[in-house]
Amino acid sequence: MYRWRSVGGACVAAAAMLAGFSPVQAGDGAREIQVATRTLSFLDGGPTGKVVFAIVFDPSKPASVAEKDQVMAALGSGMAASGVTVVGKPVDISALSSAGDAGALYLTRGVNYAAAGAYAKSKKMLSISSDMACVQSGACVMSVAATPKVEIVVNSATAAAIGARFKAAFKMMIREI
Amino acid sequence: MKAPKLTAAAGLTLLATLIAPSVRAQSIDYGSLEQLFGEPVTTSATGSPQRSTEVPVDMTIISAEEIKRSGATDIPTILSRVAGVDILPFSAGASELSVRGYNQARSPRMLVLINGRQVYLDHFGYTDWYTLPVALGEIRQIELVRGPNSALFGFNAVSGVINIITYNPKYDDVDSASVATGSLNYGSATIISTARLGALSARISLASEQQDEWQNTNSAITAAQLRDPRSVRAGIDAAMDLGEHSNLRVEASYTNSSLTEMLSGYSYVASRVKSKSVKATLNSDTRFGNIQAQGYINKLDSSALPLHYYNTITVGSLQDLFKVGAGHTIRLALEYRANKVNTTSTMGGQISYMVYAPSAMWTWQAADKLSLTAAVRYDSLRLHRSGSFPAGVPNADNALWDRTIQEASYNFGAVYAATDKDTLRLTAARGLQAPTLVELGSRQVLPTTPAPTGLANLGNPNLRPAIVTNYEATYDRALPQWRARASLKLFMQQTDDVKSGTSRKQIDIPATATTWGVFSYVNIGESEMKGAEIAAQGKFGEGFRWSADTTYVEIEDKPLAGYNPVVRLVAYGMTAPKWRSNLSLGWSNGTWSADGYVHAVSRFNSYISTGLEPVPGYASLGGRLAWKGESGLEVSLNGQNLLEERQMQAKAASGLMVQRRVILQIGKAW
Repeated sequence: MYRWRSVGGACVAAAAMLAGFSPVQAGDGAREIQVATRTLSFLDGGPTGKVVFAIVFDPSKPASVAEKDQVMAALGSGMAASGVTVVGKPVDISALSSAGDAGALYLTRGVNYAAAGAYAKSKKMLSISSDMACVQSGACVMSVAATPKVEIVVNSATAAAIGARFKAAFKMMIREI
Repeated sequence: MKAPKLTAAAGLTLLATLIAPSVRAQSIDYGSLEQLFGEPVTTSATGSPQRSTEVPVDMTIISAEEIKRSGATDIPTILSRVAGVDILPFSAGASELSVRGYNQARSPRMLVLINGRQVYLDHFGYTDWYTLPVALGEIRQIELVRGPNSALFGFNAVSGVINIITYNPKYDDVDSASVATGSLNYGSATIISTARLGALSARISLASEQQDEWQNTNSAITAAQLRDPRSVRAGIDAAMDLGEHSNLRVEASYTNSSLTEMLSGYSYVASRVKSKSVKATLNSDTRFGNIQAQGYINKLDSSALPLHYYNTITVGSLQDLFKVGAGHTIRLALEYRANKVNTTSTMGGQISYMVYAPSAMWTWQAADKLSLTAAVRYDSLRLHRSGSFPAGVPNADNALWDRTIQEASYNFGAVYAATDKDTLRLTAARGLQAPTLVELGSRQVLPTTPAPTGLANLGNPNLRPAIVTNYEATYDRALPQWRARASLKLFMQQTDDVKSGTSRKQIDIPATATTWGVFSYVNIGESEMKGAEIAAQGKFGEGFRWSADTTYVEIEDKPLAGYNPVVRLVAYGMTAPKWRSNLSLGWSNGTWSADGYVHAVSRFNSYISTGLEPVPGYASLGGRLAWKGESGLEVSLNGQNLLEERQMQAKAASGLMVQRRVILQIGKAW
């Protein structure tokens, strides 16, 4: 079963509502992490309270770094949705073990998906990316897009490998591969 | 009338308790799904949750915010501003709705539901909007499907379906109170409150409303035919978690209203309507799919003297919704329906039927950009009559009612997202408009003279269902550079075996030495409709929104030899306006909001005793100006029919005219 590190986060949630829940203007990365955060409530037996997302980036790739910066700015002190408050922790792709007790890996564009995906599977962690190539390769459980409309793709085999199960209504509204 | 029994709910509760430990279930959390996908979510297209832009039907969803900003106090006014919708406001409390023509008194072709529970009165085939057991403030969204959707909802979903979705107390904490006063002595009060106690959540709503009937300047309409509209509505909606994932929802309601109504024969009548209902729904997500068991009972006590109906409808259904592989969603369902009503105005008999209806739906995501949906349903209706016949009535044999009606309906839809901005939707549907219990024999209005002198108005046990076949092509385009969307629709529809009204001008069963002559309901031929619709909506500047649409329909009635559609009150081609159009503009900065709505209709005709009277085309204006404070206090000024003090919108000189109305409302949400 994938791991969740959840703590009571009502106060953080309230603060996040004020501080970081309307980051739509910040760019695609901001909107995509918002979509990713909202999917958590559709996990069967999903997390509540505070959840740490390891924002995996490659310092040698400007696009990855830019997306990491966008995502971290959007998360701010915490992004709240449906009882979950997501906080971000930047993690260099070359130091995945520093993700520590993160509840999920959020893979920015262009990182080594295979390496990050393998790490997530070994730790039974949820892996999410805004790049559809990640989910198509089987490295990610889920890819999210926010523009021009929200699109969510789940790799069923990868989800099964970490024991992640999504609620029925959610599964009927997303694309599974 | 006896109070509704809670047997079904108790049984479901017991069932749920027994299986709860082994199931994993969820009901639909509309709010979270809408937030996630950034657009409304619905189950009214196929029974499966879908995004509004991806449904394989022609659907409009009206949000709670749009309902509030409409300034309307009733659902027909809100819906009349939706593309393609026709409205006939016959009196202050009684309006009739249809889609793309075919509107009439006791409009039978729109199936109306609240959370999937039928509030359409199918003993006579109409919706009494003033008696709907719902307060506007507890509605999450109103879903309008244009065209037949019998394969999902069964009989009577032929011109369209209106599914009113209320907030679910399991997910939505809605608390508000409001009072309003205005012209025509309008007054209303509403309170809605949600409470949670452990796994149990419940919302109660109480609403009361009254106003004066519109001014009557026609001496042919007597004071006894008119009644000021007044209503009391009460409802409770409770949801309970059963085990970790199971959920049981129980809804109950009561309404008591009085108003002026327009009878199917186009005469005004003072009526009183009471309704009670109870519904229980269990959702369980098992390894065999999401299984939903639902049961409800509706009881109606409706009097429009000399007619007095006591109607009971009992519905039970079982549904399994599941995915096969990554691209196939399947729904299998079985519905049981029992419906009974007394004969009236001469009592002594009871007409009833039982329906068994298996159905199936399959959605296939054939490619990234292409989804195909097929839904079929088979209705088997067994008709029955019991009780006595008055002397002088022909065909006085209950065995004539021992008859079975068996018909299939279907919905096929293809949605092709050609690009990120362009969507093409093709649909084909076959819907069933069943004969109502009134048409089948509940109507038993007899002359005061002994047979064979005089004419009897009786039902017809051999009446066949009308079959409505509809084809539609829709092209939607997103226009992000203008923050707008636009759509073009082309459609054609054929109705076979059109069911007629009754008319003293045409005798259907000749008198004999011992029986009266009879005028009744018959199938009189076909009707064809074709048309087009163009609509667009968008936002601009800071806080502005707009929408515009127009719909053109051309209807041609093709009666069988010997029948005149005007005499039989089904002259759809002559009574439908060619054009119905809407224009709206709104602005909000979060504290202040202002909205205006123009609804325009081209000329049409209405029935009078000698045939038809022309009703001029008209344009009406409604609007709302509101202020909302940080504490949740909201003050609004709402107006309807603002362009003229009195205006003909349903009938001409023979009827009541709609009156201007301005309402001040004060409310608070917490």
